[in-house]
Amino acid sequence: MATTITKLDTLVGRKIKRKEDPRLITGTATYVDDIQMPGMYHACIVRSPHAAAHIRGIETKAALELPGVVAVYTGADVKDVGPVPCGASLPGLRVPHHHILAQDRVYYVGHPVAVVVARDRYIARDAVDLIEVDFDPTDAVADPEKALAEGAPAVHPQWPDNIAFNYHQENGEVDKVFAEAEVVVKQRITSQRLIPCSMETRGVVADYRSGEKALTIYSSSQIPHLMRSLVAGMLGIPENKLRVVAPEVGGGFGCKLNVYAEEALMGFIAIRTGKPVKWIESRREHMQATIHGRGHVDYYEIAARRDGVITGIKLKLIQDLGSYHQLLTPVIPTLSVLMMPGLYRCKTVRADIVGVFTNCVPTDAYRGAGRPEATHGIERMVDILAAELKMDPVEIRLKNFIHSDEFPYATGTGLMYDSGDYTKPLKTALEMANYNELRAEQTKARAAGRYMGIGLSTYGEICAIGPSPATPAGGWESATVRVEPSGTVTVLTGIKPQGQGEETTFSQIAADELGVGFDDVVVMHGDTSVVQYGIGTFGSRATAIGGTAMYLAIQELKTKIKRFGAMLLDSDDVSYANGRCTCNKSGKSVSLAEIAGAAHRAMKLPANTEPGLVASNFWEPPNFTFPFGAHIVVTEIDKDTGAIEIRRYIAVDDCGKVINPLIVAGQVQGGVVQGLGQALYEHGIYDDSGQLLTGEFMDYAIPKASMSPNIEMASTETPTPVNPLRVKGVGEAATIGCSPAVVNSVVDALSPLGVRHLDMPLTSEKIWKVLQGGRA
Amino acid sequence: MKIHGSHALPAGAARAYNLLQDPEVLASCMPGCEKLVKVADGTYEMKMKMVLAAVSGQFDGKVRITDPDPPHSFKLVVEGTGRIGFMKGEGLLRITPGGEQCTVQYDGDVHVGGTIAAVGQRLIDSTSKLMIKRFFDKLCERAAAASAP
Repeated sequence: MATTITKLDTLVGRKIKRKEDPRLITGTATYVDDIQMPGMYHACIVRSPHAAAHIRGIETKAALELPGVVAVYTGADVKDVGPVPCGASLPGLRVPHHHILAQDRVYYVGHPVAVVVARDRYIARDAVDLIEVDFDPTDAVADPEKALAEGAPAVHPQWPDNIAFNYHQENGEVDKVFAEAEVVVKQRITSQRLIPCSMETRGVVADYRSGEKALTIYSSSQIPHLMRSLVAGMLGIPENKLRVVAPEVGGGFGCKLNVYAEEALMGFIAIRTGKPVKWIESRREHMQATIHGRGHVDYYEIAARRDGVITGIKLKLIQDLGSYHQLLTPVIPTLSVLMMPGLYRCKTVRADIVGVFTNCVPTDAYRGAGRPEATHGIERMVDILAAELKMDPVEIRLKNFIHSDEFPYATGTGLMYDSGDYTKPLKTALEMANYNELRAEQTKARAAGRYMGIGLSTYGEICAIGPSPATPAGGWESATVRVEPSGTVTVLTGIKPQGQGEETTFSQIAADELGVGFDDVVVMHGDTSVVQYGIGTFGSRATAIGGTAMYLAIQELKTKIKRFGAMLLDSDDVSYANGRCTCNKSGKSVSLAEIAGAAHRAMKLPANTEPGLVASNFWEPPNFTFPFGAHIVVTEIDKDTGAIEIRRYIAVDDCGKVINPLIVAGQVQGGVVQGLGQALYEHGIYDDSGQLLTGEFMDYAIPKASMSPNIEMASTETPTPVNPLRVKGVGEAATIGCSPAVVNSVVDALSPLGVRHLDMPLTSEKIWKVLQGGRA
Repeated sequence: MKIHGSHALPAGAARAYNLLQDPEVLASCMPGCEKLVKVADGTYEMKMKMVLAAVSGQFDGKVRITDPDPPHSFKLVVEGTGRIGFMKGEGLLRITPGGEQCTVQYDGDVHVGGTIAAVGQRLIDSTSKLMIKRFFDKLCERAAAASAP
């Protein structure tokens, strides 16, 4: 039974522990690999060790003879399966046909060449070693700038220039502004390839019921509904005969905002063999075959007046796309362009993107997707300009901020910033840091020969992605809210959380709105047979858009609840609050459970009212939301080793109205640590022949708990007018704010040595070399 | 990866040149070499076991000797593939006479791929140096033993 206790406090805005956590921390959650089915086969994939090669032949006999091996499929078997989809539609975009298994050539290390199906996972893995692929290696190119050079090996022979697309955007009189500028600063800034490294790798289980001709795919995904549409198309089966279930997802960070070859491949195997089949990605496979993030080489130019006012921004962006387009590969750098002016008023901008094929695994969305690169660029450039003008980095930012009375603000890149007060988080952060004292301490430290740095970033970002016209597959979100006959509440949401905690935040909102207990709300997601069509979780959109859809469905539901309440109370003047419908004249009331029971038994119905208590909403947002914040990082560098100590990390984030401060804090903490990963440690490195040199955690350094600083956090709240919940989003914010603050701090520390810029990651070795007088 | 270096051998240039082309000698000196058979003039088939940290496996490959200029220099081309990846190497060996002794200079380029590249990257440099050292140490022993009275 539902609780009928009158609630006195609202839950929104309170620190509520996450509903999800008990199952996650006790190992009782159900991930893809926890799914067991009778007679289930296991698949293991043969991958290319070469970055570029012709396939002369594949010998599968020895593998097929291994007891327990059921089948081996190669490119020839699956050539009729549709290509791995690319959702981008830029003008003139070159899209290579992306087969789910390589046909006559391989294009990157990790490219799937064949798949073994066996009775157990170990046999499948052993059989992979028995397959002999006769490769004829050809020249490869792994660096986007080298790929653009004359005479570089062609990744795809039909496009010898290796260019997938060019994209140009411009606003204002750029050439005039630069010609007349008092100061111009230029810098090449890279944002290195990163490997997402979700704790749970990818995994797929496919189950085909031949009688019903119905396929079910379980996949660790952020977008089960989009996957259903796309994989049904690849396999040529009706969309309503495919069910996609994304069970517990152990981290996504964008790498599961995708449709990969393996989903269709497992569907193909299940249909072909008539048995369920499971594939679980190994860590090494994850590092070489799941999308990477970032991969930018950016050439920035900033024009400014001597007083520090920025008058123009130019960006030439070279995007390392890898060998194919995954779902959103070419879209990601366009987000960087949208965000390139940051929080600053300057509207005169020019951006040119060149998307470059390389013999590497494709890049795609990774926490922040395009916005961290843009923010890193503009925040580095503003510091470089400040250094050139001998201005304080705080002063130059205050001088260029869009003012709080200028919103909504149309940027030079075509966005309409919703709301903002950029000085607010900056001032809060400066007070927390005691900025002036820090600068005084720095002066003393320098006099004593120590390298102490103070760096800041004032970042903005695009959240709540997004209005449908701005997204490839719709940017709305859906919710169905049901009051069950007993009075408990079930929310079906089209989003797909992977750690963001929406089962908790949505329960808070629903409990407040319907006046029921927090535990009486169950939030369901991720099963296309249970939940109405939705878009998914990415781009810090789930609460702002999915939460709003739920909120609006609840408002509709409340109207119906009141109609039933009025009937039961025999009154035409009722109100609904705290889970009870009350007659405003007599003061008599009925509980939601009583109303729900009456609505389902339907012995009597209010006029023009159907039985049951359910409402759905599909909400199309009118705009993105634009959260912002300020991060300050204090570093000190060990002169002998080059090691960077993060003495203080201050993060002040403004993500609009805060539903649950504990969850916001968790997102900021995780986001900062992921940003530190890029700033200090992580780099997905390919050698010149396209070999991935960072193929395991011994070579690819992700930050551990011991490498994570104490983060001093605060929030300011500037509500958005875009949605009725007034929320903006915070899933990616701290990652975006982090890396420029860290690099600005380290460059500040080393500025007495004449250091103006350093590219990430700032490893001890790189800093040590700078200290030895060499260039990084 | 570039490799280069030099090593002294207790043998005259002509004998050193011959030792370096003798499959039996090479097989006994190459660390992990399980088989080296001459299949044509200047072409050998090789089987060797490679151990690199946690990764180990057998390589099947080919060794070719090209551009012979006895007793001064020759080019060595090595190709191998196995379950743990592949390797390709090319190097020039130059023999500088010095009476009873000679010096072997080597200068080459090695590419590795697959699991050994992805997993063993940190160790490839030091491992190959170690393997080269072991090879020459053994070769010195052979050269000294053969020339002993």
